[in-house]
Amino acid sequence: MDNGTSRAQVRRIVGEMSPLGAREANSGDRLVEDLGYDSLAVIELSLRIEQEFTLADLGTGPTADITTVQDIEDFVVQQQAAPSDAA
Amino acid sequence: MSVTTPGLVLDVTETAPETAAEQRGRLADSAALYRRWERQQWAVAQVDPARDAATWESLTPFSREQMLGSLGELEVGEVTVTHTLGALIDAPPTEDDRIFLCTQLADEARHVRFFQTYLEDACRTGLDAVEEGADYSEVFTPVLTRATDAVRQNPEDRESWYRALVYYHLITEGVLAATALRTTRFLARRLKLEALEEGLTNVTRDESRHVSYGLRAAQDGVAGGFAQVVEDAHFESLGAAAWVLIGPSRHNPVPALHAALLSRAAQIRGSVEIARERLAKQLRLVGLPHVAEKAVASWDLAVETALDAYAERWNAPHPIRAAAA
Repeated sequence: MDNGTSRAQVRRIVGEMSPLGAREANSGDRLVEDLGYDSLAVIELSLRIEQEFTLADLGTGPTADITTVQDIEDFVVQQQAAPSDAA
Repeated sequence: MSVTTPGLVLDVTETAPETAAEQRGRLADSAALYRRWERQQWAVAQVDPARDAATWESLTPFSREQMLGSLGELEVGEVTVTHTLGALIDAPPTEDDRIFLCTQLADEARHVRFFQTYLEDACRTGLDAVEEGADYSEVFTPVLTRATDAVRQNPEDRESWYRALVYYHLITEGVLAATALRTTRFLARRLKLEALEEGLTNVTRDESRHVSYGLRAAQDGVAGGFAQVVEDAHFESLGAAAWVLIGPSRHNPVPALHAALLSRAAQIRGSVEIARERLAKQLRLVGLPHVAEKAVASWDLAVETALDAYAERWNAPHPIRAAAA
């Protein structure tokens, strides 16, 4: 999956899971202030992102600081790139 | 001042008594609690758990799993207390105590019926699935059963009665159930599970009476020469209670997004803090304020032991530790 497709998919998922109701999400949208995410919704979003992009178990690895949709897009793209960087 | 839902009667650990005299005045006796029981009746059929079925179906897998885990622990706990309360009813200090404890047995049976009906009619889940592996049944049920069996074997032994009272009313109900009900009720409201929120509010009101009874009975015990057994019973059982709250056998994956990890850790840590605070308040209320600090230290140590066990079991840190790293 190329980066552009991954980013579009992240935006789709974030918009779809917004507690304010499914909507279009933009990269600059803030999760809490603009899209209504609360603590439970953020956990659910994280699990969905991990599942959709088959992210490795991050139990002992770094976790991503996020404020905006763009931060999640960047995190997913970095994680997808990680195996080839290591190779 | 605590925040609560309309109609919910808080137990004495959720308000802030100022003086020893005020504390004493706030602890209702078993006759007063019986009268409160008559005024606070409710029925499982009126709650109508099946009305949550459609909302339940629409929950995400995470929310469903979380809620099933909580409901399973509560159901298992209610079954255990229903099976074990008889021993306390057979040998109470007074006849008023016996009558109150009989009302409590009816409450516990109603709670079992509520949770089982909810799991079947709203969650459409078999009871075996949620009961299997519940930490309460694995860890605390044997402890409570041993304590109440000792009362059955020797009903004249007042020390055994007070030990079982602490395990039952103050640790199982005052620390574990009160904490689980508070967090599960919050989640039910957030997920718009209206029947569940209503039922849990009713259960909480009942449990508030039970904890109030336990506090008053333990206070009388402390004043009547059983202070040491009341104190020892707290220290004997708090480790198992901390273990149940952390639940090392339940997998708690670390979320990839840091904000999610912090939320998850805060959620679990919140429960642990509520339980810890209740433990300390209860000790102060029953007349053992001098051991509250030591009990909190033991609680913290027991939580760390459970977190170590989690890391060993899953070869990964618990979210509480991952968030703190």
